[in-house]
Amino acid sequence: MTLKGGILHFAFMAASAVFLLATGTQTGVIVILLIAWGITLLCVQSAGYIRRRNRLRELECIMDELDKKYLFFECIPRAPGAYERRLFTLFRRAGKSMIQAVSDAQAAQQEYREYVESWVHEVKTPITAAQLICRSAEPPIRQKLTQELAQIEAHVERALFYARAESPEKDFIIRQTNLEDIVSEAVSQHRTLLISNGVQVETKDLEHIVYTDGKWAVFILGQLLQNAARYHGDKPMITLSSRLLGRQVQLTVHDNGIGIPAHELTRVFDRGFTGSNGRSRGGSTGMGLYLCRKLADSLEMNLRIVSVEGMETTVYITFPVRSPQSE
Amino acid sequence: MHQIMIVEDDVSIRDELALLLENEGYCPMPVEDFTNITGLMAENPPDLILLDIGLPGRDGFSLCAQIRKTVSAPIIFVTSRDSGLDEIRALSLGGDDYITKPYNIPVLLARIKAALRRNGRDSDTEIIETGGLTLNLAKGTISNGQDAILLTRNELQIMACLMSRPGEIISRTELIEVLWDNQIYIDDNTLSVNMTRLRGRLERLGLRDLIKTRRGMGYQI
Repeated sequence: MTLKGGILHFAFMAASAVFLLATGTQTGVIVILLIAWGITLLCVQSAGYIRRRNRLRELECIMDELDKKYLFFECIPRAPGAYERRLFTLFRRAGKSMIQAVSDAQAAQQEYREYVESWVHEVKTPITAAQLICRSAEPPIRQKLTQELAQIEAHVERALFYARAESPEKDFIIRQTNLEDIVSEAVSQHRTLLISNGVQVETKDLEHIVYTDGKWAVFILGQLLQNAARYHGDKPMITLSSRLLGRQVQLTVHDNGIGIPAHELTRVFDRGFTGSNGRSRGGSTGMGLYLCRKLADSLEMNLRIVSVEGMETTVYITFPVRSPQSE
Repeated sequence: MHQIMIVEDDVSIRDELALLLENEGYCPMPVEDFTNITGLMAENPPDLILLDIGLPGRDGFSLCAQIRKTVSAPIIFVTSRDSGLDEIRALSLGGDDYITKPYNIPVLLARIKAALRRNGRDSDTEIIETGGLTLNLAKGTISNGQDAILLTRNELQIMACLMSRPGEIISRTELIEVLWDNQIYIDDNTLSVNMTRLRGRLERLGLRDLIKTRRGMGYQI
């Protein structure tokens, strides 16, 4: 019972008492009448309260057990009261239109992703043609053009994986892959950038089998190599090595570059975070490591980054143990 | 000379690829009419086929299946589509290899060579001969007919690169790139160290001045 209802009720009780007094009813009779009235009111109200409380608990239980909460109004039992029924009908309509809006947005996102993917595939053809044409150019021009083309390629690749990472359906294929192959493919993809920055790459102990999507892993590793090449110090050297951690394989990517300030380490995987290094050098998008984390999460790979500013950065990539289902 | 059929709809890539393969000593067969590819093959059987997946009017997958019915030459898919599913599909339809665009040119050439070798179409015995010198890539030795000396992996690749193009000046950058393609990831300084060591070794064969330094340009045999 609302406060307004309560006040109205008491006002009516008082008015009745005054009316009965005025018409000459005995005071004792009026008191008994009022008490009986009050008790009845209390009983009715508390019964209503209990019923409503039980009903709410029942609905809360249904809600808690639901996997997709937005289907709540589709799943509740038929309401007892006409009022509640009409209310639920309204909610159901609202829910339906919401589901429609969400699925429209999903379809639009899917279309956009497909467009980005096909665009990336289309743009790769002229990049390939340009690389081939580049071969017959004069060496100094050829070298500069090759570097620019490599940069375009890296940006295009990031766009492709951005579309893939943001999409709800993760269409990777977990396969048995040689870690050595992943590493040499990633190094080979970024060799122009690495060579032009005078980087030496050392590989050791990579003879391990990992269960992952090769292309995604190559992309993740490629981002790390690009960062190491970009933020290099004197005599740049990248060391790639791996070891067994129980049944897991851990790949370590170590560089002797300019490092990352300690207070920025926790944020390097944030979307759009460029850090002081990125800002002072320019050309940083803050997307590389964000995508790495996102893709690694999908692949159940663990990424950990440790750095000493001005000295070194080490990234640990831990590949998951082969799950029984995938055997 | 190995005939390599190029099935690619992008004209610039087709022309450049043909030029590249010709320079590498192959005989390219660029295809311009995609309607009668199997007929062309029957007329002039290729030793290897480079096949693009996205062709006008039809896709490379169905074409591959069709080619496989009559031709046993290795097929290398060259495509910009890079999903794992496409790759599995290509290989299960009888493709021998799958390379994604944009490709690294030395890698493409190496894959072509490997596919030809696997199919017994290559007589390359991994021996390079130039000016009385014999480089044996399998054994890792170089000999002048009388003596033979062992070379390290890095030195072997440097010699292979220089000896396969006698007379040509090869720049340091190019040499570094060739080494990187062979999983030797060294920088400029390390190349200098390797060159000095290599010259020291060649001295034992009496070939101290075999490798000439062309200042500002590169090296030459």
